[in-house]
Parts: sequence; C-alpha cells; structure tokens
Amino acid sequence: MTPGSGPGNDSPFASLAARVRRLSPTMRAVTLAYTADIVLFVIGGLHRSSFVQFSNITSLLLLSSFVGIAAAGQTFVILIGGIDLSIPWVLNSLAIMFTTRSLGLDGNVWWSVPLALAAGLGIGAVNALGIVLFDVPAVVMTLGMNGIMQGATLGLTSGFTCPQCNSYVPPSVQNAFTGTLFPSVPNGLLVWAVIIILVGLVLAFSTLGRRVYAVGNNVMAAYLAGVNTRGVTIIVYALSGMFAAITGIALAAFGSQATLAMGDPYLFASISAVVIGGASILGGRGMYWGTVAGAIFITVLPAVLLQYQPPNPDAVRKIADGVVILVALLLYGREARET
Amino acid sequence: MSATAAPAPRGRFSKRMRLRYYSAQNVPLLLSLGLLAALLILYYFLFIAREGRAPGNFELTTTVNNTLTTGLAAMGQAMVVLTGGIDLSVGGIIDMTNAFAAVHMGTSTGSMIGVSLLVLLLGTGAGLINGLLVAYGRLQPIVVTIATLTIYQGVAIEIMNTPGGQIPQAMTDMFSGTIPRLGYLPNSLVLLALLIVFWQILRRTPFVATLYAIGNDARAARANGAAVVRTRLAAFGLSGFFSGFAGLYFATVNTSGDPTSGDTFTLTSIAAVVLGGISLFGGRGSALGALVGAFILNLILIVLFFTAIDQEYTDLFQGLFLILAVVASVLVGRLLQRGR
Amino acid sequence: MPSIEGLSISKSFGGVRALREASFSAEQGEVHALVGENGAGKSTMIKILSGLYPPDSGQIRVHNQPVSLGSPQAALQLGMATIFQELTLLPYMTVAENLLLDREPRFGGLIRRGAMPDAAQTLLDQYAVQGLNPLELVANLTLGRRQVVEIVKTVSRQPRILFLDEPTSALAEEEVKWLFGLIADLRRRGVCMVFTSHRWNEIKGLADRITVFRNGASVGVFAGIDLSEEGAVELMTGRKLDMQYPEPPPLAKRTPVFAAHDLAGRGLRGATFTSYEGEILGVGGLAGQGQRDLFLALFGAGRFKSGFIDVRGARVRLRSPRAAIRAGIALVPEDRKTEGLLLPLSIRANLSLPILGRLSRAGIIHRRAEEILNRSIIEQLAVRTPSQEQPVGMLSGGNQQKVLLGRWLLSGARILLLYDITRGVDVATKHDIYELILRLAAEGHTLLFYSTDTEELAHICHRVIIMREGRFVAELEGQAITPEAIVAAAIRVPGSDRPLSARQAAGAPA
Repeated sequence: MTPGSGPGNDSPFASLAARVRRLSPTMRAVTLAYTADIVLFVIGGLHRSSFVQFSNITSLLLLSSFVGIAAAGQTFVILIGGIDLSIPWVLNSLAIMFTTRSLGLDGNVWWSVPLALAAGLGIGAVNALGIVLFDVPAVVMTLGMNGIMQGATLGLTSGFTCPQCNSYVPPSVQNAFTGTLFPSVPNGLLVWAVIIILVGLVLAFSTLGRRVYAVGNNVMAAYLAGVNTRGVTIIVYALSGMFAAITGIALAAFGSQATLAMGDPYLFASISAVVIGGASILGGRGMYWGTVAGAIFITVLPAVLLQYQPPNPDAVRKIADGVVILVALLLYGREARET
Repeated sequence: MSATAAPAPRGRFSKRMRLRYYSAQNVPLLLSLGLLAALLILYYFLFIAREGRAPGNFELTTTVNNTLTTGLAAMGQAMVVLTGGIDLSVGGIIDMTNAFAAVHMGTSTGSMIGVSLLVLLLGTGAGLINGLLVAYGRLQPIVVTIATLTIYQGVAIEIMNTPGGQIPQAMTDMFSGTIPRLGYLPNSLVLLALLIVFWQILRRTPFVATLYAIGNDARAARANGAAVVRTRLAAFGLSGFFSGFAGLYFATVNTSGDPTSGDTFTLTSIAAVVLGGISLFGGRGSALGALVGAFILNLILIVLFFTAIDQEYTDLFQGLFLILAVVASVLVGRLLQRGR
Repeated sequence: MPSIEGLSISKSFGGVRALREASFSAEQGEVHALVGENGAGKSTMIKILSGLYPPDSGQIRVHNQPVSLGSPQAALQLGMATIFQELTLLPYMTVAENLLLDREPRFGGLIRRGAMPDAAQTLLDQYAVQGLNPLELVANLTLGRRQVVEIVKTVSRQPRILFLDEPTSALAEEEVKWLFGLIADLRRRGVCMVFTSHRWNEIKGLADRITVFRNGASVGVFAGIDLSEEGAVELMTGRKLDMQYPEPPPLAKRTPVFAAHDLAGRGLRGATFTSYEGEILGVGGLAGQGQRDLFLALFGAGRFKSGFIDVRGARVRLRSPRAAIRAGIALVPEDRKTEGLLLPLSIRANLSLPILGRLSRAGIIHRRAEEILNRSIIEQLAVRTPSQEQPVGMLSGGNQQKVLLGRWLLSGARILLLYDITRGVDVATKHDIYELILRLAAEGHTLLFYSTDTEELAHICHRVIIMREGRFVAELEGQAITPEAIVAAAIRVPGSDRPLSARQAAGAPA
C-alpha cells in the first residue's frame, strides 16, 4: 500500500498535525499562542456577542499594544538571556517627565518626546553597564533601578503633588494613540504595527538581530566569533528603556494624563507576553511575533474573565496571570530546564 | 610527608587560631558588622545634634520594631540565596499573610494562637509551592517566583480589598511592646535574640550543611550524595515560613493589614541579604548577615532622613544601596583575588 | 580472582568510537596502570567502570558478579570509589567540612562544629598528611593540596577498589611522594587500585601490571618490570595502518608571519615561537600543559601578563577576538559545540557571524550576498547539507567541523589556530580536513595545529614544537618528527631520569 493513501491519512487533521510537528519549537509556540488568542475571543463572544464586535476587538487590541510595546524591550532583553525588572518605573517616571515638561502644549512635543526616549535609552544603558562592568546580576540591577526610578519620581514630584503633575498630554500625542486615521481603528494600533515591523526587521534581518541571537545562545561562542557581547548587551537594555518610555507616553496619552503606579502591571505583563510567545527564558530563542500573540493573550484573558463578573476582579486577574505564566513555563519549559 | 607518621597531638586548634581563620573567611560579614557599628555611632551623634538628648529606649524599640519585618523577610531570602537561587515572591507572601492575619484574628487567645499558626502555615505552603516548581519542575527561580508573586498578590487582594482589619492589642503588645521588669527591654529585641539562637541551631543541622554545599557547587554536592532536590524544596519552604512570619509581624506592628504594602519587601529583603555579606551566587555568608543587613538598610534611611531628605525618596535609596552593595561586594571580591 | 573486570566494552560519543570491545581486569591487592595516548580510551574505560557512564555494550564484573552501575553512588555501594580529575570539593567550605561531609561528629542529630577540626585532623593524621590545616578554606589551597584533600576524602571511605584518573597531574613533588606511600600502604591492605598516568617514572615505580590502550582497545597487559619506556611508547603509538596521511611539500622559504615572545600569565611561562608563511606548525605535548591558554591568548581571548605577539613583524595588541580577527587571525576552538558553533542557529548564521559588518549596509544584512558567499564555501568544503538554513546542531560532527572552518575561511584569516580539530571526527572528514590544511598552507596561510594525535602531527606538519608546563621545550623538524619522538619529548619529567620505586617512596633505603 502506498504511503498516504489509507483512509486515516486523508483526514485534514492528519496533514495539519504533520505540518505542525515539522515546525520548530518556537514556531509551534507562536502558533499555539495565536490559536489561544482566537479561542479566547470565541469564548468571549459566546458569552456575549458584543465581545466580538469590531469596536471591542480594536479596543482590546489597543490595550494589548501597550503590553506589546513594553514587551518589545523585554523581548530583546530576554533574548540575550537577561531580564528587565525596571520597566514599571522607567515607564512611569518618563511618562510623568513627558507630561510635566510638555505641559499639554503641542509646541513642546518636538523636544519632549525625544527627550523621554533618550532618557529611556540612557537608563537602560546604565542598567547594562552595571551588568557588564560589575557583574551585577540582571535581576538585581534592574530591580534596584526600578526602586531608584520610583524613589526619584516620588521625591521629585513630592508624592505626585507637584503643580505640573496633573498636566494633560498634548493633543497631538493623544491623537497619535486614541485618534482614528482610519475609521474605527485607533491610531495606537498603527503605532504598534510600525513597531512590530521594525522590531521584526531588526531581529530577522539586521546584524544586531543576528548578534542578539548569538549572544543569547552562547555568550562564549559568540565572543570567540568576534561579537562585541558587551556592546550588544548595552544596546539591548537601552532599547528596553526606550520601549518603556514609549509605553509610558502611550499610556499617558490613552488616559490623557500620567498617574502614579501606572507602570506596575507592565512588568508582569511584559514577561508573560514574552514567555507565552514561546521565547526561551534562558535566551537565544524566540520571535517578537510570538510576543505579540502573548501580549494579546495576557490582555484579553482578564477581559473574558471579567465577563463572568467575579466578586474580586483584580484578585482574579492577578491569580490568573500568574497561573498562565506557570502553565506556559511548564509547557515550554522543557528547554529551559537546568540539568 | 611519609606514609606512616605518628599522629599529631590533639586539641591544638586554639580559640585564637579558630578566630583567625574565621575572620579571614568571613570578611564580608565582618565588613557589614563594621558598617553597622559605624552607622550606629553616626546615628547616635546625629540624634543628639537634632534632639538635644541621647536616643533612649523609645528609639531603640521603634527602630527594632520597624526593622524586624525586613529582617525576617531577609532571613527567608537568605535561605534561598544560599542555595544559589532567589525568591521574588517574598513581597507577595507578606501581602497575603499580613492581610490574612488582620482579617481573621480575633481577640480570644485561641484565635490569636490559631490564626498565627495558620499564617505561618500559609507562608510555608506558599514557599513550598515555589520549591516544588523550582526543585522538582526544574524551572528558573526568577520567573517562577515572579509568577507566584503575582498569584500571592492576587490572593492578598482576594482576602482583603483595601487596607483594614484589626490586630488585637495583645498581639501588638507581645511583638512590639516592652518588658517593664527588665528595664523596658523591647520584646522585638528578645525576638531578635531568639532568631539568632534559632540560626545557631539550624546551622548545625545536616540540612544546612547540604544547603551550603548546593550553593557552592550543585554538581559536586550531587556527586557527594547530597539530596539536592529535597534540600532546595526545603529552602524555599523555609523562606516562605519566614516571609509568613514577617507578614504576621508586619500586621502586628501596624495593628492592621494592607494587601499591597508587602510589595516593597522583595527588594528590601534582597538588599538586606547583600548588605549582610551573603553572596548572590550562593554558598557563602551567614544568615545572621541578613539581620545585620536589614539593620544597615534601615539605619541608612534613618540617618539620611535626619539630613532632611524627603522621605518620598525612600525607594530611591533602597534601590541605590542594593546596587551599590552588590557592586561593592564584587569589587571587594576582585581585590581579594588579586591579592592572592 | 579479578576484583574488577570490564569485558568487551564498547562506547561511542556522537559517532566517535572511544572504546572498541575493550577488555580490562585488575586483581585485589594490585596496583594496575592504564596507559595510552590522549584519546586511546583509558579515561573512558575508567569512567565506565566507575559508574559515570553506561557502556554501549559489554559487561562489568565485580568479584566475578556481573553488575549494572547506574551511578557513581551505586559503584560506591559496591565498594568502588573514584578520584577524578574534576574534583568534587566545595570551594567555599573548609577542609574539615569537605572531608567530613555526611560524616560529621554529631550530638543528637546536630553537627558538633567545634569538634570538626579535631575529627578532620584525625583523618589527616591517619593518612599521614602534613601541612594541611582543617580550618583552611578549600578555595585558598593550591590545586595540588586540593587534590590531596579529594584523595583523603575518597580513600577514607575505605573502598576495596579505587580508581585514580591522572592522580598526580596537579601534585607537587612532595605530594607525589606522599601519594606513592599511600598507594603502597593501601596495596598492603589489599585494595585494588587502577590508575592512569602519562608519567613514565610513576608508572614504572608503582605499577604491578600495566595495560596499554591504543585506539580504543587494549593492546597488551604486562608485568611492570617487563615493559620498558621505549616498548611502551611503541605500543602506545603503533602504526595506524588504516590511515593514510598526506604530507606537505617542504617550505620553499621562511618568511616569519606570526610570532610570540615570552608569553607569561595564566598557564604560560615564557612561551616563544615563530611561524612562517605557508607553514603547518604542529603543537604537541600532554594535555593541559598550557596549549589552551596559548591559543586563547593568541586570539585575544586570554590574558597574559608579559610578552608580546607579532604579526608580520609588527607588534599587535590583541585585546579581544575582534581585534584578532581584524589582524587576520582565526581560532577554531577545542569544543566546537560549546565554544565554536551556535548549535540551534542555521549554517548561514554560523558561517557569516564574524563578517556581518562586511555583508551589511546600515545594519541590514544583504541576504543575497550572504547566501552566495556561504554557498561558495559550502561547496568548496563539501559540507553535506540540503540547505543553508539547516540548524548546525543537526549536522554530523565532521560537517560541523567543516562549517566552523568555513566560517574562518570566509573571514579571510591568513593565520589559523586549529585546536584539536580532528577530535570526534570520522575518518573521511579527517581526510578532507588534512587536504584542506595542506591546500591552505600551499596558498600561503600560516597554520598552528594543536593535536593530541601524534600520528597526525608527525605526517602533516612541517615542524612540531612540544609544550610542557607553559612553554616550548622541544622542536622537531622534517624526518625527526615521529610519533615516538613527540611522545618521548612530552612525557619526560624534567630533572629525573630514573623511575622512582615504591620502596624508595616508603622511605626504605634504595
């Protein structure tokens, strides 16, 4: 009997399963993540059909974009085997810096936005210097930096009671995220789309991308192949700081003002997005495509859960988030296991 | 050296020799103690300059009271760090346990004892969950404890939505009060002494010997037959226990509960561990260093605020000193290496 | 009755046969030496008999009973202990804590820390160790002293069968004498001891019997007195009849291209050499004599305190591999899987990694150019693969080595440092590599070729310089390069020509 000609082999599922099995582990995880996203939307829609209305989907995607942008930085850092725990307060402090400098005036945008981005790059670079020059573990360095940014912000704004603290985000910037160039599509999604394309390009086609994967896979081998491993580390952490700044501006634009503790959910969310997206926590493997799916998952899941009106929505959200990451780790963790 | 030499005379390890070796091998701890002493002196004189009198029993009591939560959390963190791991869920466990205590503790003696025990059990259980995932699941401690941190924070909010609850006065008196008959000795100081005694006993268990072995070199430890997995599990469990204790203590000091106020203790417990001379890579340092580190951290903050720096900057200094402490320990280590 | 036997043991590591139906046996109360060149299989045999690896086929018998050893712990239960070169000491714990691990003096379940130094001292006295303080931290001890601690720790568990893998490699002379005395003592008590060594005077002085390994199997068992050094060397090297080696034509002229002067630092004690354009310069010597440190230093990846490196007569400061690559130097490292290739990445990515800058504009890689360049090298080296996108980890060892070599050829390096590149490679690929090396030399490249295969060195190199204890001690050229000469130059212990007998070590008059 010729192979492939029996009754069981004609089933569409068999060929699909075979195609999935041939994918690399990362691609498998990415496919799984997107499938899970679709499943989530279906579940939500089944409960209430308004869930899958176009406007609701785009709102949820907009919320996902904030996680996604922060997670872009986290993706870079995790790809080289590090981690960035300073995202929450780099995000928050730079959002506040942006609003208190621009003071709600469009005329200030041309310098206040680049200032915030540059500050993000700078803080990230300092993180990397501590790691690279003094062998400070990434966990500790970025955790400490988070505290520093928190204290600096609270101190400089006297507990967020400064007169400029309530400044609004300049209208042009607000429009860049909440406006609609295309009908019913928030501009923030376009911003995210641009970021997705750029990050994807860098990781797949640029010299930096190749070097990032090399360092993440095996620092020593990369070093012996002439890669400037220190330089790559600095660039990657700087990028993470920059993406945190962008997220801060985006969030502030969305809420039209900066607030305290606005960055707190984004530490966990950014790490979740990367892990759910199939990247290895040890580095060297993963794609931003996966992180995007992970960002959507970690944002839509609480929205679906909220439909069931749990008595304590914040608690349920946090517990669900934590459980999801553990499940993802256990699923993909086979590669991440220490011997 | 020959194959058949006469045995050397017994008992020639004098106290002085032992002390000499111990000092050489515990330089980081001694540096920390020195730093603590320097800070105490600084605090003493600054206090006199500001208040016009020497610090008294009240200051002693409040300082120890305010430091012990960090101290307890840091002792738990030390258990995990000594094996070469890290526990980022400490803050979440403290959130959870202090909320639980504040909500459920009644004024009857039975309730006080019962709920206290439950709180310790809760903390230990949370730690064991971490341990199971890390030791048996062989997942990375960083990500696992970030995940469980979030879960425990969620549980804390589930227990208690907003700050509140009530801790019976008797509990507060027991932990934060003083003993009149002993010259108003702070109870917390007694607790501190008990912790030190506890560690001296624990230090002599085979379990802790294995703990240090794993932190030194897990592969070599395994080759020597050590029960690596079980010991790692127990280390996390112990960390949870101490975090639970810290949460209980925190609740009694504040006389109420707060489901999010424990978050800061993740960072401060790690900072205390490093300031106490314990190596983040594992295998080196005394858990007592965690207590020393907690006092150093709090005293630095107190001294800083004497100099009229806004208290809002607290987190900045905690984060800064965490980083500086690690950098200092790395530089000291490099210096010692070059000297050899 | 033999106390430990390995019968027809075969073991392969990723396509390379380390042991081919090798047999070995040792008796109770004898000291048995296992000798052979690097890669002959003696270390593997010990690792299998000690329970560290399972054999692919064959049987292990202890006191005539067949056993299946799952782990070194299982072997310990049967009374077999091993002292490996990789120590199992805990660096930041004291000598006492290490010696007494799991056996500390206790009181009611708690360890009596105060009693530990005395208990450890008792142990040290029992084995006549002097000059070691139980209170000292293991990390502060020299490698030799640490090995003494490891030996005492293992021997004090009173095994009936003891394996020692290169026990004297790190010991100072005093400590070697101590070990000989200890071994003599244990032999009197009936312990069976099996050890591997390269040092002929030790082998001669200690061993009751000697088993010679070559090419993964035993080629003979001899009584210690019956085997001479020359005889042993001949047996160890032998003629590998199944291998044909190409030989390079003699160098037309000597243009110095790459030289090192008095390199000193980690593992190096004044290494000096000069290599010429078009030369294949072999580096020989026992493993661990500084070759690795030398190669890393020559590539900018190691630190040395003094000395300098010249490229074509000009002093170069190699601060990093990037600088070395810019100077036209390339290193093909020892372990291609952990230091050379990035296994999960594609062949394409691995090949072009050092020269990404040249293949890109504004940071974006010109994929077409990269593809074409890579393909040319893949064809040139005959790498068997369906496409460039194949992850390197899926290739055979031989093809992996070709990709690694290809990477450096692409980078345009003229000075190639090849570190043991034929280890773990099949015969056909070895030939391809030899042909490639000869061709590169003919095209004017300079190659530094470190190998543990003396046969290989003898045939394909123009010159061979032998390294010992961090510097070069001998040079062979032309007809004088034979495997025997290389081995002889490598194993001669400096300053002593007469083998040390165990009786002398025990203090009896000679």
